[in-house]
Amino acid sequence: MDREIRITAEPVDGARCRFLTSEPLLDGARRFASAEAAVGSPLAEALFAIEGISEVLVSGGTVTVTKTGNTPWQVTGKEVGAAIRRALASGAALVAPATAGTAAEDEALYTRVADLFEAEINPAVARHGGFVELLDVQDGVVMLRMGGGCQGCGMADVTLRQGIERALRQQVPEIAGVVDVTDHSAGSNPYVTASKK
Amino acid sequence: MGPGPRLLLLLPSTTYRAAAFVEAARRLDVELTVVSDHRSVFATREPASLATFDFSNPDRAAEQAAAFAARHPVAAVAGVDDDTVVLAAAIARALGLRHNPVEAARAARSKHRQRVLLRDAGCPVPAFRLHRLDQDPRAFAANVPYPVVVKPLCLAASRGVIRADGPADLVAAHAILREILAAPDVATQGEDARHYLIEQYVPGPEFALEGVLDGGRLRVLALFDKPDPLDGPYFEETIYVTPSRLDGAAQRELAECAERAALALGLVTGPVHVELRRNAGGPWLIELGARSIGGRCGAVLRFGAGAAEMSLEELLLRHALGLPVPTWERASGAAGVMMIPVPAAGVLRAVKGVDAARAVPGVDDVVVTAHPGQTLVPPPRGAQYPGFIFARGASPAGVESALRAAHRCLTFDVSSGGD
Repeated sequence: MDREIRITAEPVDGARCRFLTSEPLLDGARRFASAEAAVGSPLAEALFAIEGISEVLVSGGTVTVTKTGNTPWQVTGKEVGAAIRRALASGAALVAPATAGTAAEDEALYTRVADLFEAEINPAVARHGGFVELLDVQDGVVMLRMGGGCQGCGMADVTLRQGIERALRQQVPEIAGVVDVTDHSAGSNPYVTASKK
Repeated sequence: MGPGPRLLLLLPSTTYRAAAFVEAARRLDVELTVVSDHRSVFATREPASLATFDFSNPDRAAEQAAAFAARHPVAAVAGVDDDTVVLAAAIARALGLRHNPVEAARAARSKHRQRVLLRDAGCPVPAFRLHRLDQDPRAFAANVPYPVVVKPLCLAASRGVIRADGPADLVAAHAILREILAAPDVATQGEDARHYLIEQYVPGPEFALEGVLDGGRLRVLALFDKPDPLDGPYFEETIYVTPSRLDGAAQRELAECAERAALALGLVTGPVHVELRRNAGGPWLIELGARSIGGRCGAVLRFGAGAAEMSLEELLLRHALGLPVPTWERASGAAGVMMIPVPAAGVLRAVKGVDAARAVPGVDDVVVTAHPGQTLVPPPRGAQYPGFIFARGASPAGVESALRAAHRCLTFDVSSGGD
C-alpha cells in the first residue's frame, strides 16, 4: 500500500513558502541558489523545473522555496507539493552532498558562526527562554531554526533581523544572508503572544 | 554612498505585525530602528537598531527619542497600531518630523474625544454619552433610548462591546464590562478604564475603509464589505472582502464621510482605518483610527503588479519616509480575509483541517496564530483571534465563498477544563 505523505504549505510572504512534510527529507540542510547547483539532487532538480523557482532550501522535513513572478502560492504550491511527493515516492536519495570547494569555505564560516552562536546569540536569547540552532552554512547563507521562547514569538523576526543578523554581519561579514526555517506555528511557549487587533 | 534614512518603527511587543513591517523596511534599504515597550535581548549589543521607550508615557518617550536621535539622526517615525498613534505623533513633534499633530492623534485615540469632535463638526456619529464605571446603571437604565451599544474607551477588537436592548441587558452588559476593565492588563489604562460609552445602536451593514491621508487629502486604498451581520449582542469581526459590492455613489459617500471625519479630528497624514455603517439615513461613522488595518489582515492588501508589487506595510513606510509611492492602486481582483472566530472558551489543544482549508480553491493561506496550550476567550471578554484565512479571486462573492468553505474545514480541539 502506498504510504500517505502529508505536506503543509506555509507562505512566508509573496516570494517564499515553507513546505512541511510528514517524512524526513534530509539529515541536515542544503541550499540551492540555481538550477545548475541543483544538478544531481533529484528533489531540487524537480523544484527548479517549476517556472519561477529561484531558490530551494531543504532542511530536515522542511523545504523552503523562493519564487519570482506573480503566480500565487495557491498555484505554485500545488506543483511544489506534487514534485516533493514524486521525489519521496521514488525512494532515491533526494539531495546530493555539497561540492567540496564550496563546502570548504562554508565549513570555515560555519565554525565562526557556531562560535558566535555559542558565545553571544544563545546566551542572549536564553534570557527569554529561547534558543537558536545553527543548521548549516551554504554558499555563505546561514540557515537557522529558532526554538523555545523564540518559536512562534511575535517579535521573532525583530530578534532575527535586528539582533542575530546584525551581529552575524558585524562578526562574520562574509555571510551572504540568513534564512530562518523555523515552523513558528508549532511554537507552544512563545515569549510574546500577539494579542492586539 | 552613505546609509539610508533612519526610520523609528514603533512596535508594541504584542503586535501581530512585526514581521510584515520589518520585512517591508528591509526592502526599502532604510536604517531601521525597532522601538518597543519591552527590552530586546540584543538591545545592548545593537543600540542603534533596537531601542526601548516608555510606551505608557508619550512625553517620556519623546524625551527618549530625542536622546536617541542625538546619537542616531532620525528621518521618520511610524507607529503600527492604536497603541502607538499618540507616541508616534509626540516623538515626531519632539524631533521636528512630519506627522499628525499630537492633539489630533490624541483625539483619534480617545473614543470619547473623537465622538465629541465629530459631533461638533457635524459628522454623522451615533448619539453617545460618557458614563462612569462606578455609577450604578440601574439609576438611569430606564431612561436610555434603546437599542444601545456599551463600549469601553480603551479596548480593541470589539472587546467589551455589547448591545443592550433594554434595562436588564444594560445592567448585565455593565457587569461584564466592569469585570473586563478590572483585568490587570486593562486597569493600568487610568481614567479610560474607569469610564465607558453608551451609544445609539445604528442598524445596517458595516464597512471598513483603509486609507492614507496625504497632505490632508484621503486616498482610499480599499473599501471592505463585512458580509456577516454585526447586530450584536457582541461584535466579533469575521470576514472582510474588497472591493465593496456597493455602487460607486455609495462608496464615494462613505469615503467623503471618512475624509470629513479625519479632517475634523485634525489628522493630516498617515494611515486611517475607518469603520462605517450605512442605512437609509446615509453613512454613519462608527470608529476612526489613525492606523492601518489590524491583526494579520494587512496581508490581504497588495499594491501594484509584477516585480513592483508591494505590501501595505511597504506603502505605508514609503509614505512615512517621504519616498516615492509607485502606485496607490490595489492589485487587481477581489481579496478577503476571515478573522477566525473563537470557537469556544478553553485551552486550545489542536487545530485540524488546515491542509484541507488551504486546498480550497481561491484560498491563499490559513494562518493559525493561537498556539497549543493557549487559552481562547470568546467575545465580549476576549481580543485574540485564533487565526486568519486569506483568499483571492475574480469576484468578491467568490472570495467570500472560499473563506467560508475554508473555515468549514477547520476543527478546533478546545478543552474547557483547567487541567
